[in-house]
Amino acid sequence: MIEVKEVEKKFGRKKILKDVSFTANKGEITCLIGINGVGKTTLLNAIMALTPINNGEILIDGEPVKEKTFEKISLIPDALTMIPNMTIEEAMEFMNDFYTSWNRERAEELLGFFRLNKNDRISSLSKGNTAKVNLLLGLALDVDYVLMDEPFSGIDMFSREEIANVFTSHLIENRGVIITTHEVNDIEHLIDKVVLLDDGMVTKEFDAEKAREDDGMSVIDVMREVYQG
Amino acid sequence: MNVNFNNRDPVYFQIIRYFKEKIAIGEFEPGEEIPSRRELANRMKVNPNTAQRAYKEMEEQGLIYTERNLPSKITTDTKVLGKVREELIVEAVDTFVASVRSINVPVDELLDLVRTKYLESDKEV
Repeated sequence: MIEVKEVEKKFGRKKILKDVSFTANKGEITCLIGINGVGKTTLLNAIMALTPINNGEILIDGEPVKEKTFEKISLIPDALTMIPNMTIEEAMEFMNDFYTSWNRERAEELLGFFRLNKNDRISSLSKGNTAKVNLLLGLALDVDYVLMDEPFSGIDMFSREEIANVFTSHLIENRGVIITTHEVNDIEHLIDKVVLLDDGMVTKEFDAEKAREDDGMSVIDVMREVYQG
Repeated sequence: MNVNFNNRDPVYFQIIRYFKEKIAIGEFEPGEEIPSRRELANRMKVNPNTAQRAYKEMEEQGLIYTERNLPSKITTDTKVLGKVREELIVEAVDTFVASVRSINVPVDELLDLVRTKYLESDKEV
């Protein structure tokens, strides 16, 4: 379980995260929703200890993040961070050198899943394929938790569908996933839990299926109520 | 298994409904093997936990059954199967009645119209 407790984060005098608390379970897909600039990326970076927090606590399976944690959690940032001159295969080698949790077999499988050619140079890839490589590198790690920052933004609908298919496959099964998005339409039926962020705070945390069952409300209905009600 | 899910009814509920429809029209036959939970999630593009829940519910309702580690199968219990068909028909008629009620048509006129339309649509198929 990932526990985020009363986290506060300031950039200079500007408070980006005021008081953020939520949990994300293993075997579930938790979706962080909020408009641009609300602190979603900052929050993911904070979970990965890439940015220091000013207050609060973040625990992964009950422990604070340390070096070894990075073998059980991975962050897929919104842009690919590999050197553009590398081929996909070289990028995969690079990951293999860095992580003991790199799973070569799964990486090959993902190549097929996304129909990518490993001899292609990263700089030559379309936006959609770049995003797929980015996901491949994150998902091929044998980790318990995967954090994905806006995996769907700026991508054509067919690539979006292919990416969404990952969520219903064994590639995700039993892992805990946190995904950020400002567009929930594509994935309404795929997510377990929704955390709504606004103005540096969690405005609502709910189970998507439960909202449909108890209140007959879609995720978007709930968002409308929270943001405009 | 291309299902158009709506966003307001619980997804597991919509999955069960899909199964009931297929059972009622005989597309899923009694005793027929059904996909595994993961396969279903993948084909219907839904959360695997939701698929799991739908199967659990269907098992409780006696629509499907699982023997040890074998794949789940559609029930062969004719009583349950008959009930599924009846349930769907009653539901459809209820919806129809509810929407036609407000127009205040005499029942005989309505039934004649239903008969004509029904036979017409038979010809078209």
